[in-house]
Amino acid sequence: MAGFATKRLGKELSKINSNSLPPGIELVSADNFEEWFLDIRVLDSNPLYLNQIYRLKFRFSAQYPIEPPEVTFVKLADRPIPIHPHIYSNGIICLDLLGQQGWSPVQNVESVCMSLQSMLTGNSRNERPSGDEEFVRANRLRPKDIDFYYDDNNV
Amino acid sequence: MSKSQQLREEGNRHFQKGEYVRAEALYSQALILDPSNPTLYTNRAMSRLRLSLWDSVIADCESCLRLSPDNLKAHYYLSQAHLALHAYTDALAHALKAHKLCVQAQDKSLTNVTAQVLRCKKEKWDYEEKRRKRETSDLEEEVLTLLKKEKDAALDGEDGGGSRGEELTREWEDKLRRVKEVFEKAREKEEKRREVPEWAVDDITFGFMVDPVITKTGKSYERAAILEHLRRSQTDPLTREPLQPHELRPNLDLKQACADFLEENGWAADW
Repeated sequence: MAGFATKRLGKELSKINSNSLPPGIELVSADNFEEWFLDIRVLDSNPLYLNQIYRLKFRFSAQYPIEPPEVTFVKLADRPIPIHPHIYSNGIICLDLLGQQGWSPVQNVESVCMSLQSMLTGNSRNERPSGDEEFVRANRLRPKDIDFYYDDNNV
Repeated sequence: MSKSQQLREEGNRHFQKGEYVRAEALYSQALILDPSNPTLYTNRAMSRLRLSLWDSVIADCESCLRLSPDNLKAHYYLSQAHLALHAYTDALAHALKAHKLCVQAQDKSLTNVTAQVLRCKKEKWDYEEKRRKRETSDLEEEVLTLLKKEKDAALDGEDGGGSRGEELTREWEDKLRRVKEVFEKAREKEEKRREVPEWAVDDITFGFMVDPVITKTGKSYERAAILEHLRRSQTDPLTREPLQPHELRPNLDLKQACADFLEENGWAADW
């Protein structure tokens, strides 16, 4: 829908600017209504993620929030890709909430960041998804078009 | 295919390319051959909208409505033309009529029509707000002028000036200052921090609600927004339980509350 995304993102942004985000989540840049960057870190002392900050990239289509945003981790010199059984080493995240089925338009940038934060906090497995190497080498699909097989929803 | 139909399709092609003058002329030719075709009037009205020919848009839409009184597009275009001409009451009436027809026909233009309703309310409020401000500042000017006149008259009565004259001048200066203060305070109050209440905001678009509908979970959304979501996924946005469009119910009290709030706070329309 024309205008849906721009208006809604404008409001999300002004809310973020006036109320600030929850602890451990920071807006890095939101220069347009197509691509935003945020930093997240876990708040407890989970040794897997201790003292690390992770960079998230949000890409919005004109149909946001009817359509989910595309959310991936970005690798930089000081921003690694967090180790997790549902996060591929190229930054692609396998999370129900971000898929075509699990997404709901009442979710927003802040709530997605909080979900990812708690996804890391709750993890104790120091491993990548099975088939990570093959996936990273072969995948040419956009994250939203990948039909993830949720083999382990307890993680 | 009839000659008028051919002309219409040719008009549509030019319209698509943004050649509105050419399109308008072709629709006019088609109308000469087929003057009782309501679609030709709305086609031409749309070209004329793009050309900012507001009065002609109104004439076309009214011709269309005589032939087909519940024509959604005619009401929608009428609203836009009236709004451009600052005829706010008519603009809003036709926007609301278009909205009602949209809901009945489950038409996909509901999002745009909903936005038009808000736009009418906003512009009407802006206009009235401007008038209120102007009237207040005129009144202030008038009161100050009267006071100054009284002061001059009082001073004229005191021949020779002297200490009595100075005292009078001080008294009047004080009165003038206090009147200015009162007006200033009133202005500050008007510009106090404006906040939109959460209950009036749709959780999908974050926009001000015009036509809230309620789901089984008791949560209300803007009708256009939740229908847009249901076209993609027939689930309740909060619980993910199955949800069908026919299960939505209008939330009349909330609708009234939103309308009442907007009446007093037109700025909220494009919050």
